[in-house]
Amino acid sequence: MNQVIEQIFYIYFFISLTVFSIGVIASRNVIHSAFFLLIFLLHVAAIFLFLNAEFLMIIQIIVYVGGVLALFIFAIMIMNIKEELKHKRFVKFSIAGFSVGFLFLAGLYIFLRGVKSSENVLIKSDVTLLGKLLYSYYFLPFEILSLVLLIALIGGIIIARKTPFDREVK
Amino acid sequence: MIPVGWYLLLSATLFSIGLVGFIIRRDLIVMLMCLEIMFNAVNIAFASFSYYNANLIGQIFVLFSIAVAASEAVIGLAIVLALVRNTGINHSDDIANLRG
Repeated sequence: MNQVIEQIFYIYFFISLTVFSIGVIASRNVIHSAFFLLIFLLHVAAIFLFLNAEFLMIIQIIVYVGGVLALFIFAIMIMNIKEELKHKRFVKFSIAGFSVGFLFLAGLYIFLRGVKSSENVLIKSDVTLLGKLLYSYYFLPFEILSLVLLIALIGGIIIARKTPFDREVK
Repeated sequence: MIPVGWYLLLSATLFSIGLVGFIIRRDLIVMLMCLEIMFNAVNIAFASFSYYNANLIGQIFVLFSIAVAASEAVIGLAIVLALVRNTGINHSDDIANLRG
Protein backbone atom coordinates (compact mmCIF):
# COMPACT_ATOMS: atom_id res chain seq x y z
CA MET A 1 0.00 0.00 0.00
CA ASN A 2 2.77 2.35 0.96
CA GLN A 3 4.67 1.50 -2.19
CA VAL A 4 1.68 2.23 -4.38
CA ILE A 5 1.28 5.70 -2.90
CA GLU A 6 5.00 6.33 -3.39
CA GLN A 7 4.81 5.27 -7.02
CA ILE A 8 1.76 7.44 -7.65
CA PHE A 9 3.61 10.45 -6.26
CA TYR A 10 6.64 9.56 -8.32
CA ILE A 11 4.56 9.38 -11.52
CA TYR A 12 3.05 12.77 -10.71
CA PHE A 13 6.52 14.27 -10.31
CA PHE A 14 7.74 12.62 -13.52
CA ILE A 15 4.87 14.04 -15.58
CA SER A 16 5.01 17.49 -14.04
CA LEU A 17 8.80 17.76 -14.39
CA THR A 18 8.52 16.84 -18.06
CA VAL A 19 5.67 19.29 -18.64
CA PHE A 20 7.44 22.17 -16.89
CA SER A 21 10.72 21.61 -18.68
CA ILE A 22 8.87 21.59 -21.99
CA GLY A 23 7.14 24.77 -20.82
CA VAL A 24 10.51 26.43 -20.28
CA ILE A 25 11.56 25.86 -23.86
CA ALA A 26 8.14 26.39 -25.47
CA SER A 27 6.79 29.54 -23.86
CA ARG A 28 6.98 32.68 -25.94
CA ASN A 29 7.60 35.12 -23.11
CA VAL A 30 10.99 34.86 -21.40
CA ILE A 31 9.59 35.68 -17.97
CA HIS A 32 7.12 32.80 -18.35
CA SER A 33 10.10 30.54 -18.98
CA ALA A 34 11.64 31.82 -15.76
CA PHE A 35 8.51 30.98 -13.77
CA PHE A 36 8.28 27.52 -15.35
CA LEU A 37 11.90 27.06 -14.29
CA LEU A 38 10.95 28.10 -10.74
CA ILE A 39 8.30 25.38 -10.45
CA PHE A 40 10.67 22.91 -12.13
CA LEU A 41 13.39 23.56 -9.54
CA LEU A 42 10.94 23.14 -6.66
CA HIS A 43 9.83 19.79 -8.08
CA VAL A 44 13.46 18.68 -8.38
CA ALA A 45 13.82 19.55 -4.68
CA ALA A 46 10.91 17.19 -4.00
CA ILE A 47 12.67 14.46 -6.00
CA PHE A 48 15.70 14.91 -3.72
CA LEU A 49 13.39 14.36 -0.79
CA PHE A 50 12.37 11.02 -2.33
CA LEU A 51 16.02 10.00 -2.33
CA ASN A 52 16.65 10.70 1.39
CA ALA A 53 18.74 13.76 0.56
CA GLU A 54 17.21 16.45 2.77
CA PHE A 55 20.33 18.59 2.77
CA LEU A 56 20.33 18.68 -1.02
CA MET A 57 16.69 19.73 -1.00
CA ILE A 58 17.50 22.71 1.23
CA ILE A 59 20.55 23.60 -0.87
CA GLN A 60 18.51 23.30 -4.06
CA ILE A 61 15.89 25.72 -2.78
CA ILE A 62 18.38 28.20 -1.33
CA VAL A 63 20.90 28.25 -4.17
CA TYR A 64 18.73 27.69 -7.23
CA VAL A 65 15.45 29.33 -6.33
CA GLY A 66 16.95 32.02 -4.13
CA GLY A 67 20.10 32.74 -6.09
CA VAL A 68 20.22 31.59 -9.67
CA LEU A 69 16.59 32.24 -10.52
CA ALA A 70 16.66 35.71 -8.95
CA LEU A 71 19.72 36.41 -11.09
CA PHE A 72 17.86 35.27 -14.21
CA ILE A 73 14.91 37.50 -13.39
CA PHE A 74 17.19 40.50 -12.81
CA ALA A 75 18.89 39.84 -16.15
CA ILE A 76 15.50 39.66 -17.87
CA MET A 77 14.47 42.93 -16.23
CA ILE A 78 17.58 44.69 -17.49
CA MET A 79 16.88 43.60 -21.07
CA ASN A 80 13.94 44.80 -23.09
CA ILE A 81 11.17 42.21 -23.30
CA LYS A 82 8.60 44.18 -25.29
CA GLU A 83 10.60 43.78 -28.48
CA GLU A 84 11.18 40.15 -27.64
CA LEU A 85 7.58 39.11 -28.15
CA LYS A 86 7.55 39.96 -31.83
CA HIS A 87 10.47 37.73 -32.74
CA LYS A 88 10.19 34.07 -33.49
CA ARG A 89 11.23 31.62 -30.85
CA PHE A 90 13.13 28.88 -32.62
CA VAL A 91 16.08 28.77 -34.95
CA LYS A 92 15.70 27.66 -38.55
CA PHE A 93 17.19 24.20 -38.13
CA SER A 94 14.99 23.16 -35.19
CA ILE A 95 14.20 19.80 -36.84
CA ALA A 96 17.88 18.95 -36.45
CA GLY A 97 17.69 19.82 -32.76
CA PHE A 98 14.66 17.59 -32.24
CA SER A 99 16.32 14.68 -34.03
CA VAL A 100 19.53 15.09 -32.01
CA GLY A 101 17.53 15.07 -28.77
CA PHE A 102 15.49 12.06 -29.84
CA LEU A 103 18.59 10.09 -30.84
CA PHE A 104 20.25 11.01 -27.54
CA LEU A 105 17.23 9.85 -25.54
CA ALA A 106 17.01 6.61 -27.53
CA GLY A 107 20.69 5.90 -26.92
CA LEU A 108 20.37 6.56 -23.21
CA TYR A 109 17.30 4.33 -23.07
CA ILE A 110 19.19 1.46 -24.69
CA PHE A 111 21.98 2.01 -22.19
CA LEU A 112 19.78 1.92 -19.09
CA ARG A 113 17.26 -0.70 -20.16
CA GLY A 114 18.81 -3.57 -18.22
CA VAL A 115 19.62 -1.69 -15.02
CA LYS A 116 18.95 -3.48 -11.74
CA SER A 117 18.39 -1.75 -8.42
CA SER A 118 20.04 -3.08 -5.29
CA GLU A 119 18.20 -3.83 -2.08
CA ASN A 120 20.31 -1.99 0.48
CA VAL A 121 19.39 1.64 0.00
CA LEU A 122 20.60 4.71 1.83
CA ILE A 123 19.19 4.84 5.34
CA LYS A 124 17.70 8.03 6.70
CA SER A 125 20.80 9.80 7.90
CA ASP A 126 21.68 12.98 9.66
CA VAL A 127 23.30 15.89 7.88
CA THR A 128 26.20 15.48 10.33
CA LEU A 129 27.55 12.54 8.32
CA LEU A 130 27.60 14.62 5.16
CA GLY A 131 29.38 17.44 6.98
CA LYS A 132 31.99 15.10 8.43
CA LEU A 133 32.70 13.63 5.00
CA LEU A 134 32.84 17.09 3.45
CA TYR A 135 35.25 18.50 6.00
CA SER A 136 37.57 15.49 6.22
CA TYR A 137 37.98 13.56 2.99
CA TYR A 138 36.68 16.17 0.56
CA PHE A 139 38.20 19.17 2.31
CA LEU A 140 40.57 20.20 -0.49
CA PRO A 141 37.87 20.12 -3.24
CA PHE A 142 35.63 22.10 -0.90
CA GLU A 143 38.24 24.83 -0.48
CA ILE A 144 38.96 24.88 -4.22
CA LEU A 145 35.23 25.25 -4.75
CA SER A 146 35.16 28.37 -2.57
CA LEU A 147 37.96 29.77 -4.74
CA VAL A 148 35.95 28.96 -7.88
CA LEU A 149 32.95 30.84 -6.50
CA LEU A 150 35.11 33.84 -5.60
CA ILE A 151 36.61 33.94 -9.09
CA ALA A 152 33.14 33.64 -10.63
CA LEU A 153 31.96 36.58 -8.51
CA ILE A 154 34.87 38.79 -9.52
CA GLY A 155 34.69 37.71 -13.16
CA GLY A 156 30.95 38.36 -13.34
CA ILE A 157 31.43 41.87 -12.03
CA ILE A 158 34.31 42.59 -14.40
CA ILE A 159 32.53 41.25 -17.49
CA ALA A 160 29.17 42.89 -16.84
CA ARG A 161 30.24 46.32 -15.61
CA LYS A 162 30.05 49.41 -17.77
CA THR A 163 33.40 50.26 -19.30
CA PRO A 164 34.58 53.89 -19.47
CA PHE A 165 34.08 53.74 -23.25
CA ASP A 166 30.36 53.05 -22.77
CA ARG A 167 29.98 56.04 -20.49
CA GLU A 168 31.63 58.31 -23.03
CA VAL A 169 29.22 57.15 -25.75
CA LYS A 170 26.23 57.89 -23.57
CA MET B 1 10.06 0.95 -3.55
CA ILE B 2 10.81 2.73 -6.81
CA PRO B 3 13.35 1.01 -9.08
CA VAL B 4 16.52 2.90 -9.92
CA GLY B 5 15.68 2.73 -13.62
CA TRP B 6 12.78 5.13 -13.15
CA TYR B 7 15.01 7.83 -11.74
CA LEU B 8 17.54 7.29 -14.51
CA LEU B 9 14.77 7.47 -17.10
CA LEU B 10 13.58 10.75 -15.54
CA SER B 11 17.12 12.08 -15.63
CA ALA B 12 17.61 11.04 -19.27
CA THR B 13 14.30 12.60 -20.30
CA LEU B 14 15.04 15.92 -18.61
CA PHE B 15 18.56 16.01 -20.05
CA SER B 16 17.22 15.39 -23.55
CA ILE B 17 14.60 18.12 -23.18
CA GLY B 18 17.27 20.54 -21.98
CA LEU B 19 19.52 19.57 -24.89
CA VAL B 20 16.75 20.11 -27.44
CA GLY B 21 15.89 23.46 -25.86
CA PHE B 22 19.51 24.54 -25.88
CA ILE B 23 19.78 23.77 -29.58
CA ILE B 24 16.50 25.14 -30.86
CA ARG B 25 15.79 28.29 -28.80
CA ARG B 26 17.06 31.64 -30.05
CA ASP B 27 17.03 33.67 -26.84
CA LEU B 28 20.33 33.51 -24.99
CA ILE B 29 18.68 33.65 -21.56
CA VAL B 30 16.42 30.69 -22.31
CA MET B 31 19.48 28.79 -23.53
CA LEU B 32 21.06 29.37 -20.11
CA MET B 33 17.85 28.13 -18.46
CA CYS B 34 18.12 24.94 -20.53
CA LEU B 35 21.65 24.53 -19.16
CA GLU B 36 20.16 24.68 -15.67
CA ILE B 37 17.65 21.97 -16.64
CA MET B 38 20.51 19.75 -17.80
CA PHE B 39 22.43 20.37 -14.56
CA ASN B 40 19.37 19.36 -12.58
CA ALA B 41 18.94 16.16 -14.59
CA VAL B 42 22.53 15.17 -13.84
CA ASN B 43 21.99 16.01 -10.16
CA ILE B 44 18.99 13.68 -10.03
CA ALA B 45 21.13 10.89 -11.50
CA PHE B 46 23.87 11.51 -8.93
CA ALA B 47 21.42 11.54 -6.02
CA SER B 48 19.70 8.34 -7.19
CA PHE B 49 23.04 6.53 -7.49
CA SER B 50 23.85 7.79 -4.01
CA TYR B 51 20.58 6.38 -2.73
CA TYR B 52 20.76 2.98 -4.37
CA ASN B 53 24.43 2.39 -3.52
CA ALA B 54 23.91 3.46 0.13
CA ASN B 55 26.77 5.92 -0.21
CA LEU B 56 26.89 9.60 0.68
CA ILE B 57 29.59 10.58 -1.81
CA GLY B 58 27.05 11.12 -4.57
CA GLN B 59 25.37 13.83 -2.51
CA ILE B 60 28.72 15.60 -2.04
CA PHE B 61 29.20 15.59 -5.79
CA VAL B 62 25.73 17.06 -6.21
CA LEU B 63 26.79 19.83 -3.83
CA PHE B 64 29.88 20.55 -5.95
CA SER B 65 27.78 20.44 -9.09
CA ILE B 66 25.29 22.96 -7.69
CA ALA B 67 28.12 25.36 -6.81
CA VAL B 68 29.65 25.04 -10.27
CA ALA B 69 26.19 25.57 -11.82
CA ALA B 70 25.73 28.76 -9.80
CA SER B 71 29.07 30.18 -10.92
CA GLU B 72 28.32 29.12 -14.50
CA ALA B 73 25.01 30.98 -14.39
CA VAL B 74 26.77 34.11 -13.10
CA ILE B 75 29.41 34.08 -15.82
CA GLY B 76 26.89 33.22 -18.56
CA LEU B 77 24.51 36.00 -17.61
CA ALA B 78 27.39 38.45 -17.39
CA ILE B 79 28.47 37.50 -20.92
CA VAL B 80 24.90 37.87 -22.20
CA LEU B 81 24.57 41.28 -20.53
CA ALA B 82 27.88 42.46 -21.98
CA LEU B 83 26.80 41.21 -25.42
CA VAL B 84 23.45 42.98 -25.21
CA ARG B 85 25.04 46.17 -23.97
CA ASN B 86 27.77 46.28 -26.60
CA THR B 87 25.99 45.01 -29.70
CA GLY B 88 22.27 45.02 -28.92
CA ILE B 89 21.98 41.36 -29.91
CA ASN B 90 20.22 38.86 -27.69
CA HIS B 91 19.53 36.07 -30.15
CA SER B 92 21.96 33.27 -30.73
CA ASP B 93 21.65 33.17 -34.52
CA ASP B 94 22.25 36.91 -34.92
CA ILE B 95 25.78 36.67 -33.57
CA ALA B 96 27.66 36.52 -36.83
CA ASN B 97 30.81 38.61 -36.52
CA LEU B 98 34.01 37.68 -34.79
CA ARG B 99 36.13 40.39 -33.11
CA GLY B 100 33.06 42.58 -33.32
